[in-house]
Amino acid sequence: MNRQTLLGLSFISPALLAVVMFFLLPVVLTVVFAFTNMSTSTGILGGEYQISESDLRRLPAAGVSDEVAEMLTGAGYAVRPETLALFAADFGKDRADEFDTLHGGATFNDRRAMERALKDLRGDPIRVVRERKAAAELFRVSILGQRYPTEAEFQTAIRELGIPEADHAALTKAAYTGWTFTTQNFELLWELPATWRYALNSTIYVVLTLAFNVGFGLFLAFSTFYLPTRTAQTFRAIWFLPRILPPVLYVVMWQWLTWDQGFISAILRPFGIEPINWMRHTATHAWTFIVLINGCVGASLGMILFSSSLRAIPETHLFAAQVDGANRWQQVRFVLLPQMRWPILFITSYQTLSLLTSFEYILLATDGGPGRQTEVWALAAYHTALSNYGGNLEYGLGAAYALALVIIGILLSALYLRFFNFRDLVAKPRIEQ
Amino acid sequence: MNTSLKGNWLLVLAMSLMSAPLVIMYGFQLIDSISRPAPGGIIPQEWELTNWRFLWEPIDSARPSIWRVTFNTFVFASSTALLVCAFSITAAYALSRLNFPARRFFLAGLIMLHAFPTITLIIAIFIVLQFLGLYDSLMGVILVKAALELPFGIWIMKGFYDSVPWEIEMAGVQDGASRFRVWRELILPQVKPGLLALLIFSFLAGWSEFILPLVLAPGADAQVLATYMNAVIADDTRPDYGLFKAIGMFYALPVIAIYLLFQKRLMNIYGGGTKG
Amino acid sequence: MKQITCALALLASTAAMPVLAEDITITVWAGGSNDSDHYRIDNIMIAADLLSREAAIRGEELNITVEGKRDFDGWDGFKQAVTLGAEAGNAPNIVVTSHLDIAPWASAGYIVPIEDYVDLDSWPLNNVYANLMEIATFDGTQWGVPQDAESRPFFFWKDTMAKLGYSDADMNDMAARVQAGDYTLRDMLADAKKAVDMGLVDEGYGFYPRVSNGPDYAQFYQSFGGELMDPETGKLVLDRTAMTEMYQFFVDAVEAGVTRKNHIGTDWDQWYSEVASGKAAFWHGGTWHYGRYTGKEGNDDFFGTIGFTLIPAGNEAGRANTITHPLVYLVTDQEEDRAEEIAAQLVSIASEPRLNTLHAIASSHLAIGKAESDLDLYAGDRWASEATDVLLPHANAQPNHPSYGAFSEAMFKGLEAAWAGVQTPEEAVAEIEAQMSATLGDELIIR
Repeated sequence: MNRQTLLGLSFISPALLAVVMFFLLPVVLTVVFAFTNMSTSTGILGGEYQISESDLRRLPAAGVSDEVAEMLTGAGYAVRPETLALFAADFGKDRADEFDTLHGGATFNDRRAMERALKDLRGDPIRVVRERKAAAELFRVSILGQRYPTEAEFQTAIRELGIPEADHAALTKAAYTGWTFTTQNFELLWELPATWRYALNSTIYVVLTLAFNVGFGLFLAFSTFYLPTRTAQTFRAIWFLPRILPPVLYVVMWQWLTWDQGFISAILRPFGIEPINWMRHTATHAWTFIVLINGCVGASLGMILFSSSLRAIPETHLFAAQVDGANRWQQVRFVLLPQMRWPILFITSYQTLSLLTSFEYILLATDGGPGRQTEVWALAAYHTALSNYGGNLEYGLGAAYALALVIIGILLSALYLRFFNFRDLVAKPRIEQ
Repeated sequence: MNTSLKGNWLLVLAMSLMSAPLVIMYGFQLIDSISRPAPGGIIPQEWELTNWRFLWEPIDSARPSIWRVTFNTFVFASSTALLVCAFSITAAYALSRLNFPARRFFLAGLIMLHAFPTITLIIAIFIVLQFLGLYDSLMGVILVKAALELPFGIWIMKGFYDSVPWEIEMAGVQDGASRFRVWRELILPQVKPGLLALLIFSFLAGWSEFILPLVLAPGADAQVLATYMNAVIADDTRPDYGLFKAIGMFYALPVIAIYLLFQKRLMNIYGGGTKG
Repeated sequence: MKQITCALALLASTAAMPVLAEDITITVWAGGSNDSDHYRIDNIMIAADLLSREAAIRGEELNITVEGKRDFDGWDGFKQAVTLGAEAGNAPNIVVTSHLDIAPWASAGYIVPIEDYVDLDSWPLNNVYANLMEIATFDGTQWGVPQDAESRPFFFWKDTMAKLGYSDADMNDMAARVQAGDYTLRDMLADAKKAVDMGLVDEGYGFYPRVSNGPDYAQFYQSFGGELMDPETGKLVLDRTAMTEMYQFFVDAVEAGVTRKNHIGTDWDQWYSEVASGKAAFWHGGTWHYGRYTGKEGNDDFFGTIGFTLIPAGNEAGRANTITHPLVYLVTDQEEDRAEEIAAQLVSIASEPRLNTLHAIASSHLAIGKAESDLDLYAGDRWASEATDVLLPHANAQPNHPSYGAFSEAMFKGLEAAWAGVQTPEEAVAEIEAQMSATLGDELIIR
């Protein structure tokens, strides 16, 4: 290893470590999650073993024999000689005898009933709540609702119940509360009608916003190019601020502009126009403002890049055109624009990718409304994985949404790398030592 | 070329019209924070500072004081910015100028990472942090935010290094200096403007962040200004637009100050990265 | 595991304990809580004080520090913080959240059943309404305790009704007529149409529903005979007829001009100010809206201007109903069983009528227990008392089922599509049927 290699590797390793740990590894994990049924219910870091009441009816479908399902069903608590013996050992023989006369042979469905029965003890009542609960546990004969942290503990428990060995594997599998691998996320994506709507929304969003960004970025660059420096600077400042303002604040400003009692409604009222929520009134309104909100942020990037490319164009080209009597439009169209081909392509490809994965401003502005009309793919991924009214977040399905974006991203960037002459970009360093 | 204001009045008019919505929003952001409009109207009626009361008294018994939150935000944003810059200046130089194995692979990877949806990674990021014992610590959130910003930072810095003439480096090497010394003494001063721009940009990105601290460090009292503001807005029993605007103004002040101070530098953030 | 912990508890309580100072910190996180909801946390603090005093009388020194947190950035941030904290093993001891979280959180093992620690048959838990207690159960286990109650009534603007020819006596009878099924949603639609035609309210303001998804829309499904969960099997139920008729009802409302086609997504602030000032003839909301109407929106004469009833029945198959969506206190799984025990006891004490009444009245919610009506503070609040009488006995809740969220989202999306005229009610129902069978599979019964 020569010294340059050593220096190169040591220079890149801190960044590499950070990116790999906190960016690349999560991406890989997300790809893995896409093939799981991970959700709030299954937990993230692994599960335990439990057969609950609602699991019982799922057991036959999971390949557990009907007799076993039958064995697991039934009363949870029973006053039998063996449970009474346990009780006697911890709480004394007198109590056990009294309880036997009171409730010998009885069964109870839930612990509340069992505890009520224990309250019937008169000779030497169990006074402390937690002791009574501990006593109730001694009469438990079912494993329903019990959680076992490990597979071994669960299997011991079902062995004690006398479940036939043949069913152990299937039952253990059904009892696992953690996530398992599956491909159903993709089947679901394929089947759901909403999938196609989100894909279409994303396309609309990217195409329209991109058109605005590039078109308006060009307009700003050209106009400020022709204006005196100070005026140009003022306009640049106005259009640059959206990019650096915190999104939360920036979107609140738009909301103030557009809501029913906001600015637009207020100035239109004298003209007899009913106040409406200009941002959410219809899908068209929503799309218009989403494109504007994102566009004002994105246009400044175009403006900056295009302006610097414009400054790089030799002025003599323009003078020549002016001498030929070209008006300003002709100058722009025939002299300046052709020279801007590369920056325009760069912005287009760079922002296509950014826009595909971005949803922050939509989340804050319309949250996909009205009626999911502006729910783009990335926002759907966010909603599925991290925001759900019912409480059960579907991490696996959300990851499947994200995976689709990752694949599109890789394909597109591979394409761009080809297109933009990657070889130039990574041209070999000229010093070889 | 005609660049006088007079000769371009049509253009100036057109641009003013198009900029009007933005200017109106900025203007009223300021005006509404120090005045009270008539009910249902937009014209300010009275000038007053009560909207700024959050500066000297808590607006809700459960919320920490604004200064505490501002301090958190500042620590978060500046540590993120420093980390991003520290990692980017070396990594970008290596990618731009040094010859080492798999360099092309790193560069391609850098561009592709740009295409990944970051917020949907949050569950996976949680697992990594938990594994490292960094969950629920400010340190962990800072590292995550810095890592997510790094591809952008390296890309920008690489652009700046690319535009430094090779001759400078050649000359240094021919004088017998090591590549490290050349980088430190000759190249670094050349990319200072880029570094400053990146520092400011990463600071602003940290200043705006609103999801990561809340989810990855919920117990660490890591509330930042963005979540503070969002929580005040979400409190729908007592919406108070004047208060939102004042808090928003407070939140934006550093951004505006930074802009005014470093305007030129910021505009040059893409100075190196334009070559297609 | 449970057996081990119980045995430990037994040891701890039976052994003669030396008097040792015990210091314990209990953290409480309350989601969706703003300033008026501060008793969600304060009541736990008061409970901690009481518990320490009880311990002191027994001769034990128990110092409980309660740390509360409720400045979350909405429900999403709160739920993410709680679940990730639970995964990492440092969840708050007590959380205040929607009862719908019980099913997923119990399955994931984030929470422990409250019934493991406190006696449900003794005071104050035996005072809590049985139908509310039921809402905090899942899979036959009592996981939590309701923290507050609310319900979602139907409102009408009295002035408009008077102009439609209803006398004061008629309006007073309204609640009873709705409950008996004499006044249905169809009657309401006819009245709303009349109000629009007579120019009493603007077009689109005859019936002015909630502007976003919420439990409210499940009420209309029930009004048309829909059932959310099959009590026998515990599976969710999609009743095609009821769903179609419910969608049709909203489509008819749009066609009659009494409801706006693009109503969903209207700004909440606008909505509140409009319904509180009589711009709408009929609408539905929540019991806690009282605070907003009379507070921020400045309606000083609530009872003189606004009447309320159950959500009327839609047809013969359905019934007048209202859904309550209480928040619940849940105790999370901790390494130390003692922390869980203390937390559960605090929750139990915080459910004392006197403490819960503080919260109910301060935040315009309803009582969780019978005895609260006997307290001056509660009885003296006209809204709380009347709403309790009219609404709470008939309130049911949405089912605690891990997939209910998906069910509810699909139902609402279908409604939106039909409402906006993108699909006919039949098409919309067919689409949600396809979606629900795909996402819920075996957990769904289609009728």
